[in-house]
Amino acid sequence: MERILEVKDITKVYQEGNIRVVAVDSVSLTLNRGEVLLIMGPSGSGKSTLLSMMGCILRPTQGEVIINGQVVSDLSEDTLPYIRRQYIGFSFQSFNLFPSLTASENVEVVLRLKGLNKKRPRQKALNLLEKVGLGERVDFYPRDLSGGEKQRVTFARALAGDPSIILADEPTANLDSKTGREVLGLLKDLAVESAKAVAIVSHDPKAEALAHRIVFLEDGRIK
Amino acid sequence: MIWLALKTLIHEKGRLFITLMGITFSTILVLTQVGIYLGMMGYATAIIRHTDADIWIASKNIQNFDFALPFPEERINRVSAIPDVLWAERLVLTWGFLKLTDGGQEQVQIVGYNPDTGIGAPWSMLVGSPSDVKGGRYMIIDKTSEQRLGRLEIGTVWELNEKRFKLVGLSKGIKSFTTSPVIFMSYNHAQNVYGMVGAEQTSYIVAKLKDKRKIREVVRDLNATMKDNDVFTREGFIFKTVMYWTVQTGLGMGFFLTAILALAIGGAIVGQTIYANTMEHLKEFGTLKALGARNEDIYKVIFSQAGINAGIGYLVGSIFILFARGSIERAGVPLYLSPGIFFTLFFIMILTCLLSAYFSVRRIKTLDPVMVFRG
Repeated sequence: MERILEVKDITKVYQEGNIRVVAVDSVSLTLNRGEVLLIMGPSGSGKSTLLSMMGCILRPTQGEVIINGQVVSDLSEDTLPYIRRQYIGFSFQSFNLFPSLTASENVEVVLRLKGLNKKRPRQKALNLLEKVGLGERVDFYPRDLSGGEKQRVTFARALAGDPSIILADEPTANLDSKTGREVLGLLKDLAVESAKAVAIVSHDPKAEALAHRIVFLEDGRIK
Repeated sequence: MIWLALKTLIHEKGRLFITLMGITFSTILVLTQVGIYLGMMGYATAIIRHTDADIWIASKNIQNFDFALPFPEERINRVSAIPDVLWAERLVLTWGFLKLTDGGQEQVQIVGYNPDTGIGAPWSMLVGSPSDVKGGRYMIIDKTSEQRLGRLEIGTVWELNEKRFKLVGLSKGIKSFTTSPVIFMSYNHAQNVYGMVGAEQTSYIVAKLKDKRKIREVVRDLNATMKDNDVFTREGFIFKTVMYWTVQTGLGMGFFLTAILALAIGGAIVGQTIYANTMEHLKEFGTLKALGARNEDIYKVIFSQAGINAGIGYLVGSIFILFARGSIERAGVPLYLSPGIFFTLFFIMILTCLLSAYFSVRRIKTLDPVMVFRG
């Protein structure tokens, strides 16, 4: 399988006054196309910090993040938004949808950030929402969508820029058990169908059954 | 990203309404203050601006157009003698009391001009002609004075400083800064109407040059030879008059400060709204950053919101002023508004609002997109 993302011995240290907190400690892992990687661990184990570094949102204190063969952890702040737009799609635990935008417009945001013209974003957003089973609710605002529907919108948004990597932070945390299972299944289907590399941070045992690989994080280290 | 700015603004209608109300009122206040100030300055300098003269010669140390002191009229010969002078003319400016039909009296400003040349004559006539004052005790009163003097009918006789004058014409829209009604009459009668300007005395000598490019030399020469007078270019006298009312009396400063305060209030309202909006939507902006937006993309959203607020608020305020203008002017308040003023104040308002959005932009600069992973 083609390797799309690699983290090499990354460490993240936060210095708070005299206290030194090692959030992620010498973690190395790889992520391949068509693969679902599950990162599990208790709260405070450094899962989200690791995901932030994989998504080029947070710069590691030490180590390298390599995307598509290019070391991105050393790139300037001006270049990183481009890398995120190009390679990474995010799905957030608390959805982070724009309340002033409809479901389709929430998806369109990413397409507009990529500089698509005025007609295409709408059509593409509708196709993506159809794909995640929300074809009937494209003009609904987030306040009128259920938790599961909101999560589907975030998947559509994550896919909108056609990234190689999808990073999902606790996708089932705010969902009931049945809906959680549905969205995880959907995420895996999307990954396999469109050959995306998916990394899911979760402590939901339901996710284990869907993952190709699982890594356990504890105190910032892989166990 | 203007798209996102618009969507967010429209989504929060209550906030949008309050912001627009604030900017609208700020606009109304700024436009009325600036308009009234310019209107008053327009009245203060109206006769200077509408008299076709390049040079104004007045009594020594004159403060402004309305406070002229008399000086010997024969000095006109010194002015006429200068080869570069095309013509020179005398003008009387004095004050008097007009007896009203109800027995009361009203102070009036009197302008005496030569009806043969028409220099200093009323420039906008409703009834009659400037030359109608020739040959007797005839006068022209401005139509707007009806508010103070009562009905003005052509042919009626009025008592001015115990002398009877016949109304032969009505001018249109000519007012003095002091708001006293303006009465035009022939130069000779203005000299004799009141004790301030006596026979063989004048208030001003005005002159037209053959070649306006030589104005500095002529003014310099006249200042050197006419030690008991002040000599101004037309623009210089306008400036002197405007500065007197604006700075020396503090009147203009009052208008200026109110206009600045109104602008500051408008800017503060937009700034406060945009800042509160930014703080409330930090997570959304963080999400945008995580999704690949550059800081510049988010700045565009914030500045667009400030610009849209300022633009709409200014438009509504301007439309209101245009509709209310007639009523304001009918109430006797001078209001000068031109496309130039609307455009200038628009850019000032936009600039103020954009500057007020600066603090929001600063907050975005330091925004860490990692926040999107915090539930």
